[in-house]
Amino acid sequence: MSGYAGQILLVDLTRSFLETIPTQKYVEQYLGGRGIAVRLLYDLVPGNSDPLDPSNVLVFMTGPLTGTLAPSSGRVDVVTKSPETGLLGGANAGGFWGPELKYAGYDGIVILGKAARPVYLDLFNDQVDIKDAEPLWGKGVFETVSTLRRNDQGVQVACIGPAGENLVNLAGIAFSMRNYASRGGLGAVMGAKNLKAIAVRGTKGLDIAEPDRLPSLIEQMSARIVNMPSYQEYPQWHYKLFGILEADAKSFFGNYEDTAWPERFEAYERAEQFVKQAEFRPESCFACPLRCWAYLDVQGVGGGSVAACQGTLTSLANFPKVKDLNKVWKAYLLCQDLGLDTSSTSAVIAYAMDLRARGLLTASDTGGLDVAYGNADALVELVGRIAWREGLGDILAKGVKKASESLGADAQGQAVYSKGGLELWLMEIRPFKGTALACAVTDSGSQNRATYGLCEFYYRSMEKQAETVARNLVGTEEAAIPTKYEHKPKLVAAYENSHILADALGVCSIPFMPVGLELWAQAYSASTGIKAPPKDLMTAAERIRTLERLFNVREGLSRKDDTIAERMFQEPLKGGPWKGEVIDRERLEQMKGEYYSLRGWDREGRPTQETLQRLGLQ
Amino acid sequence: MEKMIVVDYEKCIGCRTCETVCSLTHEGRVNPAEARITVAKYERTGINVPMLCQKCEDPVCLAVCPMRAITFDPLLGTKIDYARCIGCKLCILACPIGGVSLHPTKGKVIMCDLCQGDPQCVRLCPQRALEYLDVSLLSSRKRRDSVRKLLRLVEEVGV
Repeated sequence: MSGYAGQILLVDLTRSFLETIPTQKYVEQYLGGRGIAVRLLYDLVPGNSDPLDPSNVLVFMTGPLTGTLAPSSGRVDVVTKSPETGLLGGANAGGFWGPELKYAGYDGIVILGKAARPVYLDLFNDQVDIKDAEPLWGKGVFETVSTLRRNDQGVQVACIGPAGENLVNLAGIAFSMRNYASRGGLGAVMGAKNLKAIAVRGTKGLDIAEPDRLPSLIEQMSARIVNMPSYQEYPQWHYKLFGILEADAKSFFGNYEDTAWPERFEAYERAEQFVKQAEFRPESCFACPLRCWAYLDVQGVGGGSVAACQGTLTSLANFPKVKDLNKVWKAYLLCQDLGLDTSSTSAVIAYAMDLRARGLLTASDTGGLDVAYGNADALVELVGRIAWREGLGDILAKGVKKASESLGADAQGQAVYSKGGLELWLMEIRPFKGTALACAVTDSGSQNRATYGLCEFYYRSMEKQAETVARNLVGTEEAAIPTKYEHKPKLVAAYENSHILADALGVCSIPFMPVGLELWAQAYSASTGIKAPPKDLMTAAERIRTLERLFNVREGLSRKDDTIAERMFQEPLKGGPWKGEVIDRERLEQMKGEYYSLRGWDREGRPTQETLQRLGLQ
Repeated sequence: MEKMIVVDYEKCIGCRTCETVCSLTHEGRVNPAEARITVAKYERTGINVPMLCQKCEDPVCLAVCPMRAITFDPLLGTKIDYARCIGCKLCILACPIGGVSLHPTKGKVIMCDLCQGDPQCVRLCPQRALEYLDVSLLSSRKRRDSVRKLLRLVEEVGV
């Protein structure tokens, strides 16, 4: 096969048994990446199983473009049944691991069962070994990666830190020292399987169907990325994002009770100084011109890589209202090393701080730690306690929703999360009706896996651009206006499809729209030799989306579960340009209904027989 | 040699596009292990340095090759004659900078051939961290860079 490596590796850790299956049979319907991953998960995981039980399955899947020179083709999709939400869990990561896996000869790896003792997988082309990981257990991500690279710096490592080992619901899977499949507790599933790491080295490479045609296509695609209006600014986003969130009026502070922290401008100023004073080197993922990442080295704290647009620093500073950026940086590096999702970790810490401010957490609950807003040391300390499940950290390690259930009715009332209990992302959602819909209907609970970059996000700062995108996608500029409920279902479905295709092809959702589907379809055919016009790719996206829904339907979910935390309906924003905004329950229901019919699902949000037949899913 | 590929590692973002383009151009497939250029990556310090054959004027690889498979072209520098190369790897051992490597399956060594004067890594590097430059231009540019650094230093120490 061209473009694809051609086979998927199945590893049963219970029986130490390896086998491969051909990728071919999944290609036409599911393309690759997220598509094939969800298909395998649906087929291999029994309904209603415990996510931390050996019967759960962890799937790492690259796409047909992963490892080709298509821009941003470093992606790998990871799916499992999430221990945090009990639903379909999934996250997508960049970096260099996915390409290396394909060069070793595999499109994906499926992990089944549970090893009796800590192990890691060592892959060098056809040589696959299950090795002892006792000496690595308890070690952070940085040391684990360094150790597994001792003999060859070309080795790429997927691994968990102590958070994953300790089954923390906020644990992600690290890809070498930088990228993460962070959301939904995927790391805890890896920990439950006693799997510390998957080290990969490949020298087999990939065949390309039309090697002469690909470079000029790549040139055109890269030009579109480099011509994005924001391209030149990317390396500055590490501090500008604070101001961008403010300009778009989507920042919040604390636990969703505050949109106008009085000290925020001082905090933004400090963030800018912090980044400018650090040693700073822009970086990209595999084959990508974007430079979303930068290596920052801060004297006296340490160095590491951070992504600008995922809002990791903004979340860790804004939610706990911490102005000391050195401490925020320290907390960030700890998350990266201990293996924690920064979005969820920031949110759960802010949640604890809010409860403390309301007198709902006592000094004995917090083990004497003063978890007050603004306490930078408490932020750093809590990150460690969550990863090691010490004291209050043991409760917070479950995530906001599950933690709230053990803290009493008042504390439960303060909890904010997306469907299933996944913490929301870096932004306020009450004014953003499309985002609210995405949070409710998405099957992974993750709004950025559903609709990353939705044009309503940047409506206030780039109105014309947001309107153009909305007009192109759904035929009217009105869809770009955050507070409007009209046209949002169609807009959300269009973004979801685009995101699914990026995740299925093995490229990044950020440049996906700017490059345009037509060129991606051409790159797909030049790499694989398979002709797939944009219309067929769209049908594949529909199919994958509906299969994701089927997974959750099998878990017993229906319309009533497509919702968001109660406070988003009941507590209007107190200030700022969106003062008074809440999510209207009735209007959300209307949007859901419209969304279901666009997807060909019934009133209960279940795919109809007709839809299953049309998509070949019956 | 009139021209060479000049690497500005401060501009490199470590994306490895050069490796993939190189293997595609030379081998018709994507495989960094078959590339003539490799980014040395240091994740703990965020440093990325693309490394490739420097086209030495007095090449040791040529000197040690027992098969005289490596020759010197006045315009494109060292060049491998694949009919002669026996894959003995002496050139790999002798090269002071790791500019030569062994092809993973063909039993022959590989090194940059400047794509016959139109290097594709230079063409597709998104950061223009790679340039194909006249060597004479390189020296004058270097001189000016170091004067600039010197001036900045003078300013800083206030001489």
